[in-house]
Amino acid sequence: MRALLRRLGVYLLAAWVALTVSFLLPRVVPGNPVAGAVARASQSGNCNSQCVEAIEAQLGFNVHTSLWDQYVQYWGNLGHGNLGQSWSENASVSSLIISYLPWTLGLLLIATAVSFIAGTAVGVLMAWRRGSWLDWVLPVATFFSALPYFFLALVLVLILGKTGTMLKVFPSLFGYDIYGVTPGLNGPYIASIIGHAILPAVTVVLASTAGFILAMRNNMITTMDEDFVLVAQAKGLPARRVIWYAARNALLPVIANFTVAISLVVAGQILVEIVFNYPGIGFHLYDALGKLDYSLVQGIFVVITLVVLAANLLADVVYVLIDPRARQMA
Amino acid sequence: MTINSTSLAGIPPVAGPTAELVLRPTRVLRLPRSPKVIAGLVILGVFGVLAIIGRWIAPYSPNATDQQNWVRHVLVPGTGAGTGFPASYYPLPLPPSAAHWLGTTVFAQDVSSQLLAATQATMFVGLLAAAIATVLSVLFGVTAGYLGGGTDEGLSLVANVFLAIPGLPLLIVLADYMPSAGSSVLLVAAIIAVTTWAYTSRTLRAQTLSLRNRDFVEAARVSGESRVRIILVEVLPNLIPIVAASFLFTALSAMGAYVAIAFLGLAGSPTSSPPGLWNWGEMLREGFANNAVRGGWWWWWAPPGICIALLGTGLALLNFGIDEFINPRLRAAGLSRRTAKKAGISLRSTLGMTPVAHRRAVAIMPQVTAMRPEPSSVRNAAEPVLTIRGLSVDYGYGDQAVHAVVDCDLVLRRGKVLGLAGESGSGKTTLALAAIRLLRAPAVITGGEVLFHSKPISGEEPAGTIDMLSATEEQLRAIRWSEIAVVLQSSLNALNPVITIGAQFDDLLRGLARAGEVLGMVGMNAERLRSHAHELSGGMRQRAMIAMAIALEPQVMILDEPTTALDVVTQREILEELIGLRDRIGFATLFITHDLSLLVELADEIAVMYAGRLMERAPATSLFHAPRLPYTYGLLHCFPPLHGARLAMEGLKGSPPDLRDLPSGCAFHPRCAWAMPRCHQDVPTLAPLDGSAREVACWLHRGEANVPAELARPDPLPSGSGRSGSIARVGEP
Repeated sequence: MRALLRRLGVYLLAAWVALTVSFLLPRVVPGNPVAGAVARASQSGNCNSQCVEAIEAQLGFNVHTSLWDQYVQYWGNLGHGNLGQSWSENASVSSLIISYLPWTLGLLLIATAVSFIAGTAVGVLMAWRRGSWLDWVLPVATFFSALPYFFLALVLVLILGKTGTMLKVFPSLFGYDIYGVTPGLNGPYIASIIGHAILPAVTVVLASTAGFILAMRNNMITTMDEDFVLVAQAKGLPARRVIWYAARNALLPVIANFTVAISLVVAGQILVEIVFNYPGIGFHLYDALGKLDYSLVQGIFVVITLVVLAANLLADVVYVLIDPRARQMA
Repeated sequence: MTINSTSLAGIPPVAGPTAELVLRPTRVLRLPRSPKVIAGLVILGVFGVLAIIGRWIAPYSPNATDQQNWVRHVLVPGTGAGTGFPASYYPLPLPPSAAHWLGTTVFAQDVSSQLLAATQATMFVGLLAAAIATVLSVLFGVTAGYLGGGTDEGLSLVANVFLAIPGLPLLIVLADYMPSAGSSVLLVAAIIAVTTWAYTSRTLRAQTLSLRNRDFVEAARVSGESRVRIILVEVLPNLIPIVAASFLFTALSAMGAYVAIAFLGLAGSPTSSPPGLWNWGEMLREGFANNAVRGGWWWWWAPPGICIALLGTGLALLNFGIDEFINPRLRAAGLSRRTAKKAGISLRSTLGMTPVAHRRAVAIMPQVTAMRPEPSSVRNAAEPVLTIRGLSVDYGYGDQAVHAVVDCDLVLRRGKVLGLAGESGSGKTTLALAAIRLLRAPAVITGGEVLFHSKPISGEEPAGTIDMLSATEEQLRAIRWSEIAVVLQSSLNALNPVITIGAQFDDLLRGLARAGEVLGMVGMNAERLRSHAHELSGGMRQRAMIAMAIALEPQVMILDEPTTALDVVTQREILEELIGLRDRIGFATLFITHDLSLLVELADEIAVMYAGRLMERAPATSLFHAPRLPYTYGLLHCFPPLHGARLAMEGLKGSPPDLRDLPSGCAFHPRCAWAMPRCHQDVPTLAPLDGSAREVACWLHRGEANVPAELARPDPLPSGSGRSGSIARVGEP
């Protein structure tokens, strides 16, 4: 348990740092951010007086308490799940985020699961069949891993999206058909959600699988050189079983590095949501940025951080479960 | 945008299986000359040149605009003559043409000029951010790794916290609260660096930690050098490959991050004041925001995206090169199908089956058998169980092949111990593993014959002989372990780290009762079946390995330095157990070691290998007391004997030869005290010595010169009878 508790400590500390940064930034940034923000907003022409007041309150202006008192109050609010009020949506930030989150988490879970499983499988296969035509996957995967998510999204919209110009197969705007169906537990709505999720999910899968392929292939090649794999072969075990032996060990570093992988996927998905106007937290983060809705921006930042930290903790637990050496230390 | 392969694969994670990095002092980074690296360098070079000269070759300024001529004016429907509304037009961007290589934007600006300006800014910010991040990570990582203790704890905690916080959201928040950031390239780069340094720092810390305890660093510390000097002179140069890989990785993610925040409109717009820089993300943002995708104006938004992907690919390919430098196992050297085909090898070989180049094997085999009758005295001994004739093994194909084993003959007899001795790199293990076709790519068996003579079961079936080199996968798998078992040197690596000992027995036996019984035979408690490899001591692990090897009562046991990694007491215990097991089960043993004195106690016959060739073969006592080969003589004087008279330790001059660059003639002649002119020219072959069971490959014994006294001691066993000794009997006068 000790190692896990240690990791938990790191994540709690990370959460504290993120929340504190999110509290301090608006209050300590030099200059007059309000003026700058309003000037920026006026360019796009949508900051009214309500907006200016909201920004001022958000940035710690017109507040006659000390920074420490504000900090204490901030934590008190967080403790009650109160992330402030969004002026642009005229609703509490937490309720807004709760309504955005299912879209993001659903997409993220499905896409990450698919890309992790597919990427790992292809990586194993490439290491197994080294020297065959599968080697050509390597440069292709490298190219895809270098492709920004949002650019890939744009290309897919162009080729397959209904708002694109070529095949017009899949819907490529919004989370569901906002004109054609009524939200609720009805068939057309659910079908619409699935149809609208296809392109965003394919984008995230295409862009993130390559990374898993490369990581798994390299780990697998390194592991296949280990003596215990040689022994498994000397035992006369069937090739599948030998590969399974090696793959189970090669998977460990991939899971240990899940932290980095998940951060990248989350970052990528934020941009993908923007391209598809997909109603998750990524798209609304972009939206809130444009509207200078700082409460919403902060709230979303906090929630994304917590989601990523939770994913990391989950990866750590999985690691401990599949590596007996870590289990002993844990 | 990418999961870095270097960092994920090459570097051992905190608790994962360690991919050991081979870093030697003062070894500079030399990239393998592979197509991948060349392609990466070319891509990076082209973009670098464009970034530098772009400003001069750009046809226009990126902000230049010509509302009249650089857009097409389309009449808004329902306006103009006859509608009662004044004519109104909207602009459409122009597709690529001679005047505008990449067309124009809806704002009547030249895309190619913007692209060139953007290339410069994107690369500059990416490299600047990577430089800052690399400095940060080296400072944190190397300091933490080198100093250790509380400093390490503190710095690692900082890095881990930064690593856990998702980068892009933090970047967005930071950039958002600093609206002026967009106009300051340095600020943008610094913010990106702050969100990307932690990963590299963690890798560098792990590497420094392992370097810190290396001999050369230890030596510097003992000699009283200052910490700063040690870090700068001894540690840092060895981290260069990793720092380089990290720099490329960070540059790649920094450019990705810059493009991403620019796409979100947070890196400063070139049209605002103060103006931000044109970059690929800004171009994509403008295109996306102005319906370039829906409008089908691909020339506007596709080029910046393709540029990012191409540059990213270039950096990733270079990273591959560094990966392959750091972790040579990733190198595909000798795996190319074309070179293999040229050498007549089908690379479709199954996993765990060393390919055999049949063409040459057929040519050589008959000669070998004809040329080398077995010495008569040996022929009458116990029947053979494994016959190796003329076996040759190459690493790699064609011209680049290294001949690791050349034309080797060995006969392993039922119930006997055959010792195979030689320095590291002499080909002992290669020979043994090739015989059972366990060698991995790029090893190729290029000639010879290996026959396994199976014991008749219940006396009714005839003893079957299986040609190992032409056996099918099924046949081989049937023989492996049940008839021929292997024990490797390092049992920690030989046991699967993630499953229990019991589960590894389960591959072989149904039911754990028998597994417990076998463990008992090597003096282990059946409780240990529930243990994992890391929970056992070195001796225990080796015992478990041996127990696994005898579980199916094989006819042949290949022991590859089974006790080298153990302390002397454990070594002795395990050897005694092995001898006991051999007496009970009656397997024939091929015992590989560099320790000749050990073999003398165990083996019936000893073969000595040098540079891939068998050089001397004799009954153990004869070889020990009366070596005929100068090399054997040298080897014997390397190790103090455990029993018997005291000898002067002379050892061997020089070091084992490089197989890629063997000396002419006898490979041993540069180190041989008695080398003659002929030794420089002709390769001696193994040939029987007059009237004895022993063979030697040395010109000294071919009547060309007087045999030195050291190599002419009287043979204690002139009859050549083998000896199935136990340790207790060994060494008695």
